[in-house]
Amino acid sequence: MGFSKIEVITSMEKLSSLKEALNKLGASGITVIQALGCGVQKGTYEYEARQNSQMELLPKQMIITIVEDELVDKAVETIKKELYTGHIGDGKIFISPVSNIIRVRTGEEGMDALK
Amino acid sequence: MEEKKLGLMSVISTGVGLIVATSCLMSLGQGAGMLGVGFIIPMVIACAINICTALSMAELNALMPNLTGGLAQYTLAGMGPFVAIVTMVGGYLVCQSIAGSVECAMFGNAINTVFDTGIPSSVFCIILLVVLIIANLLGVDMFAKIQNFVVYGLIISLVIMGIIGIAGIGTGERIHQQMNLSTGVSDTFSLLGLAFFLFIGSEFVIPISRNVKNERRNIPLGMILSLVIICVMQILIVIGMGHYTPWDELASSASPHILYGTSLLGKAGALWMILVSVFAVISTVNSAISFLSYMCAGMAKINLLPSVFLKKNKRGAYYVGILGIGAIMIIVNATGLSTSDSLSFMILVAIVFWMVSYVVSNINVIIFRRKLPKAPRTFKVPGGIVIPVIGIIGNVIMIWNISGDSATRMMIYMIDGIIFAILCVYAVLWCRYKLKRPMFKPVPMHEVMAMEHSLYLVAHKEVYVKEQIELNGGN
Repeated sequence: MGFSKIEVITSMEKLSSLKEALNKLGASGITVIQALGCGVQKGTYEYEARQNSQMELLPKQMIITIVEDELVDKAVETIKKELYTGHIGDGKIFISPVSNIIRVRTGEEGMDALK
Repeated sequence: MEEKKLGLMSVISTGVGLIVATSCLMSLGQGAGMLGVGFIIPMVIACAINICTALSMAELNALMPNLTGGLAQYTLAGMGPFVAIVTMVGGYLVCQSIAGSVECAMFGNAINTVFDTGIPSSVFCIILLVVLIIANLLGVDMFAKIQNFVVYGLIISLVIMGIIGIAGIGTGERIHQQMNLSTGVSDTFSLLGLAFFLFIGSEFVIPISRNVKNERRNIPLGMILSLVIICVMQILIVIGMGHYTPWDELASSASPHILYGTSLLGKAGALWMILVSVFAVISTVNSAISFLSYMCAGMAKINLLPSVFLKKNKRGAYYVGILGIGAIMIIVNATGLSTSDSLSFMILVAIVFWMVSYVVSNINVIIFRRKLPKAPRTFKVPGGIVIPVIGIIGNVIMIWNISGDSATRMMIYMIDGIIFAILCVYAVLWCRYKLKRPMFKPVPMHEVMAMEHSLYLVAHKEVYVKEQIELNGGN
């Protein structure tokens, strides 16, 4: 069985509802990191008339969760719907493969370490 | 974070509140008078077509959530400013102002019909308008309180009146007549336009979606339930009418709902129907004032109306819109214009614009399905584009059958054509000199969403001023 890492970078507002949705979906855990960053708009607020010429870093959060490969599509769909507002800054989702998971306390690996 | 205050019941009450109007009760009686219980078929078809449109609106709301102006913004992103101005300024602001004024006039007339007070009808209309304007100025809480009370009173009253008629337990004399007067498909189609009038307005819940708890579920569900509740309620009334009121008398009566009340329960029934009319007027005009103020604010945000409509009072109400719309309705009623027969005709004229805006909304859904097929929609109309297409065809058929009388129909088309031409001129001038955007080029969705931000107009105005200064060499 394979695993995937889903990393989400989004604005600060949506954590609570996203957490609830991922919990309902059966995600075994999440890690949230407060971050600073910008995307293609270089940190320009959506209401501004001119795009920044220099990168302006805005407060963001990065949410990381590891799920079984079978759950990836469903998890991504849930995250998309939870984060969607139609506004610039809704965020981005990155998916990458994970070769193994190890629980340090018990030494369990793979699925055993995830659940 | 903004507190979400309104639940599913409030969504339904807003939907039902604006759909059921006194003029709807009149149309219901007239339709039933012409086809008997056969009128139920066009009613159900019209309801189904409106459900298609309501589902499309719910998808648009899911794609572009929490927009103040709703349809205007969807159309701006889907089809560009020209269509947005023509269909939304024409379809909504103009026709709703007229319809609201007529509703108020009917309220005054209904009171004088029964009580013969000797006081001019317009006095009652103006008192009612002032009360509703104040209620709306007090903000969304007061709006919901009035709305729920009024609408559930109306639903319960009409359902009871229908059931009494069906069960044959009214105090009036029960009559026996042929229940179905419909002779075929052509009868059904000829009254589709009239039946449509019974169901328009479910989309009025969209501007309040930002104040609705769990709007992903409650908005589409509330719109559909509003339509279904109204359909069931009106079917009960039609069947009840068949047991107590001769169809020909219903067809020729100017107040068929009051006639039914009298036939069913005597003077008490007439008074009850007056009460129902009052409920209907209050809910319709109350929702209209609230909705139109939101709509004006939404259109101001996207620069289709002056920014003064964005001003809010301490209670969060868009007071300029509320006062402006209220003032128009008061003026129309004070001049007595709304009591003339020509305004009833104008309602039919206005409804065509309403139907056109429904067609445009369904087209918007199809456009966005093509442009943004992968955008996450928390609500998506099932079955691909079948339902929006049915909505488009259904509305076009209803426009075609706006009146059974061909001379009236042609007159309606002619007047609509003239209004459409005037709106086109306005739209061209506005796009060219105020917006300074191509008329038919859709505005990118993210920009329309950004326009919702309170600082958008300020930021863009500042840049515009700076550019002008630079152009003039710094002077």
